[in-house]
Amino acid sequence: MGNISGKAYALTILSPIKNGIVTGEEIAYADKVRDLLQSWNLLPNSPMTQVPQTYLCRYFVLDDVYTESLPGASVLDTFADLLPVVPDAVRRRILPKEDHLKSRYLVFSSNFHGGPAGDVDGYLRGMWNAISGQIKQVWGYCYGFDQVNDAASFVGYMKKCQLPATLFFVGANDEPLPEQLKALYLKQEFARFAVENQGLEAAVLRANYHAFITRVAPTNLSGPTWEPGQYRL
Amino acid sequence: MSNVAGKSYAMNVITPVRSHLAWVNKVIFWTALKLPSTLKGLITLSLIHYARWVIIGKHQFPHLAPEQPKEALSYSYMLFFSNFNGSWDQYVDSFTFAIPSGLDMFWKWNIRYPKSVALTPFHKYIQYNQIETLHYYNGYPLATSNDVKSAKTVKDALIAFDQTAHEGTDATFLKRYHTLLRGLQHDLGDMYPTPIVSMSAYQVERRTRWHASQLQANPLKRGQQ
Amino acid sequence: MTKKLDLLDIQGNVLRPYGRFGYPVARYVFLHVSDGEKGRAFVGAVTKSVTTSVTWGAGPDQVPQPDWTVNIAFTYQGLKDLELPTASLIGFSSEFVAGMKNRKDILGDDGPSSPQAWDPIWRENRVTREKDVHIFISLNAHTPGLLEDSYAWLKGMIEASDGGVVLLSGHLGDNNAVMDYQDVKVVMENGLPTAKEHFGYVDGIGDPAVEGLTADPQFVLGRGKQMADGSWAPLATGEFLLGHIDEAGEYPPAPNPILLARNGTYMVYRKLHENVATFDAYLNEHGKHFPGGKELLAAKFVGRWRDNGAPLVKAPDQASKDAFDAQLAAADQQGRDALLSNFTYDDDMSGAKCPFSAHMRRINPRASLEFTRDPNDVPGSLKVSTGAFDTPGALTNRRRVLRRGLPYGDVKDRSRDDGNHGIVIMMLNADINRQFEFVQQQWINYGNDFKAGNDKEILLGNHSADERFASKAVIQVDPNSDQPPYFLSKIPRLVETRGGDYFFVPSMTALRMIASGVVDPT
Repeated sequence: MGNISGKAYALTILSPIKNGIVTGEEIAYADKVRDLLQSWNLLPNSPMTQVPQTYLCRYFVLDDVYTESLPGASVLDTFADLLPVVPDAVRRRILPKEDHLKSRYLVFSSNFHGGPAGDVDGYLRGMWNAISGQIKQVWGYCYGFDQVNDAASFVGYMKKCQLPATLFFVGANDEPLPEQLKALYLKQEFARFAVENQGLEAAVLRANYHAFITRVAPTNLSGPTWEPGQYRL
Repeated sequence: MSNVAGKSYAMNVITPVRSHLAWVNKVIFWTALKLPSTLKGLITLSLIHYARWVIIGKHQFPHLAPEQPKEALSYSYMLFFSNFNGSWDQYVDSFTFAIPSGLDMFWKWNIRYPKSVALTPFHKYIQYNQIETLHYYNGYPLATSNDVKSAKTVKDALIAFDQTAHEGTDATFLKRYHTLLRGLQHDLGDMYPTPIVSMSAYQVERRTRWHASQLQANPLKRGQQ
Repeated sequence: MTKKLDLLDIQGNVLRPYGRFGYPVARYVFLHVSDGEKGRAFVGAVTKSVTTSVTWGAGPDQVPQPDWTVNIAFTYQGLKDLELPTASLIGFSSEFVAGMKNRKDILGDDGPSSPQAWDPIWRENRVTREKDVHIFISLNAHTPGLLEDSYAWLKGMIEASDGGVVLLSGHLGDNNAVMDYQDVKVVMENGLPTAKEHFGYVDGIGDPAVEGLTADPQFVLGRGKQMADGSWAPLATGEFLLGHIDEAGEYPPAPNPILLARNGTYMVYRKLHENVATFDAYLNEHGKHFPGGKELLAAKFVGRWRDNGAPLVKAPDQASKDAFDAQLAAADQQGRDALLSNFTYDDDMSGAKCPFSAHMRRINPRASLEFTRDPNDVPGSLKVSTGAFDTPGALTNRRRVLRRGLPYGDVKDRSRDDGNHGIVIMMLNADINRQFEFVQQQWINYGNDFKAGNDKEILLGNHSADERFASKAVIQVDPNSDQPPYFLSKIPRLVETRGGDYFFVPSMTALRMIASGVVDPT
């Protein structure tokens, strides 16, 4: 299945936003959703820090699809130009048509640790349990979301909005996020240790090393470690 | 909007594919999955955390309620999502320099794709089809894809080293310790909050000032750093 | 097909590093345009004396080598005040329009390198309109006496402009004297001119080989682009000159009309102060501990030995250096060139010879970025990822710049940082953002492409004084040896920016058009 690569999962959600005007405000539902999401950028950190196992995720609003007008080199564009004998009618048929969407879509794309079986249900439940308030705000203007009132109905709703990935490329790591954060913490700390203890006599180095290991506790994921979304040292 | 979160940039590109040709793209992706050599350039570049291609059939846009109008489209659409290290042009440029044929293989079935070389038409094509991210979250904003991978190497090596750290003389400890460092000589790069990829010095300053003032006003709890 | 450049149309400083052509002294003068029309007349008058790239000699299609040279370039504000049409102005790149000062966050010009600490002329630039830097004029001369002659000539021209252009003062010289110009000169050693800068490194080796310029097939070795079969080819002209095909097979983005852009280029002017006392102290301190000693460590900073530029990949230790020196002494000019420039990193992919943070490897990694880790190899090894990229040097070939410039000042007291000493470097490229700025941001002040995280280039990196962001560099060792890598810790800021800006260097044709006000993009 294209959504799973190793233990990483590619979740792609397209939720149709209602057409119409927010009651009492001169603003479309989709624009309201956009403003809400932008307001998250002004918080000290993202609400998504609370959602377990999230490596990287994003939200945007798909207003429409793009209609192509530039001359191109796609296979058929090229083929149509290949022979001067292709009649003009055929050439014209090859020219792109103009497509438009009838709804605007809230797009949520998340890369998370789902384990070998791709536990998308578990991830979405974790998301609901962590930030159901924000979820209701953002998704509240989408078609069909009025049926959602708990974790189970949220999972069910999201799966109806889900699209399968054709190819999912993992260029980094598919371990659980706490493992990755601990590893990053250790890398930073050990680099510093190596620099500060360069050239020491063996016995002193060894003693310092043991003190270091006790402090950083390499196998303890609960701490000390980096927090999800930590952008400061 | 925020296409940038720490060291990662979120790119979203949507491009039309003729419905009767969408399967060709799927076959190519399937091949890429089965034949890792096709992704060798991508792996060597090592600039991506995660990337995905999603092909939406023209009848497959999610339909959730009877009152939602049904889409009537001429084409299927390919959505590309990438999480990469660097600014927009740094990334696009590195990709067209290094793996132009790989990019062409994935996109040439898309309507009016210009090919990845020359650079300027390719830049224009991406800009034309790109959708800005409104909110981007990164679980490890201080780290690049390289950092995440080397962190695992460091962690595994350190845990393995520690198994025998109490054994032997101090001299043998030192020898093993040197071997540990030598093995990690490409994994110990520091992780700091730079570089800045946002182009406006003013915006950068504003953001820095804003974060400093926020920090003063309400000192961070753990989990909000 | 052999490409031939219009040498009579290209300014001489673009294609010639004057220091290597018998001009050991130079003076850089900056002007403000106070009146568009008179300013254009001034440009027209100066243009008559501007030195082109034409071949010097007594033969046909040659001109005699001048005693001193003149070259001219403009900032965006300058072109605007010379009243170039708006439709032409909007075609210049956005970073050129913004200027170097506004790009400080991209360039890492922070702390002691931040614009508040720049020389007055650069600090005051782009603050009030009257102090905006508009025109750059460089004078290079055979002797200090001839340099004064050239300056007297220029002063006369400024005088004759009748207020059209004003000389901008504000360059800091000896004892912080405020000077009307920036003087530069080669560093002397025992009364003889050298190719060294104030830290003691031989500088200016390895200028790129450009298509259309390089008649000598030997010159391209190690200076062009590394091909899959191990051969070398010159870099496309369009990487360094507008109006020519670049490495992507297209004409680089440029302003209209084409006659304004063609055979012109962008120039980055940067005054870099060298903290010689800090450098010496740091090198001495670590030189005591570094296996191989102080001079090898100094070589590790740069990737070349200080005394003669011997590359570490060819001379990784004292014994091989001795052998290299003997070869170099016996070689003719062509042989010397090949010895110093013709190498790859193919046999040094793990950085045991030339570290990943060394100056030379950072500013021109050649084909070494096509590399990967193989889990079956000894830990600490990296290897060539053969065939991964379009060409081995794919990530490097579009990041090259032509480097010009000379050291300034004298080191009178090596125990102090605050003397008047450094280098003025001028980098020429077709796309400041893609070439100079990328190298500065990604390769000098950052290390991700080298799998080195935030570790910076040792010499030029904007190392932080903040303990939390202390700079380090890893001096790698042979993964099959029993040595540990050496860590350079808390690297101090060795080089500080003291000012600069982005300039456009027009062709001779464009200069005449700008002067006569006939640039017309319609």
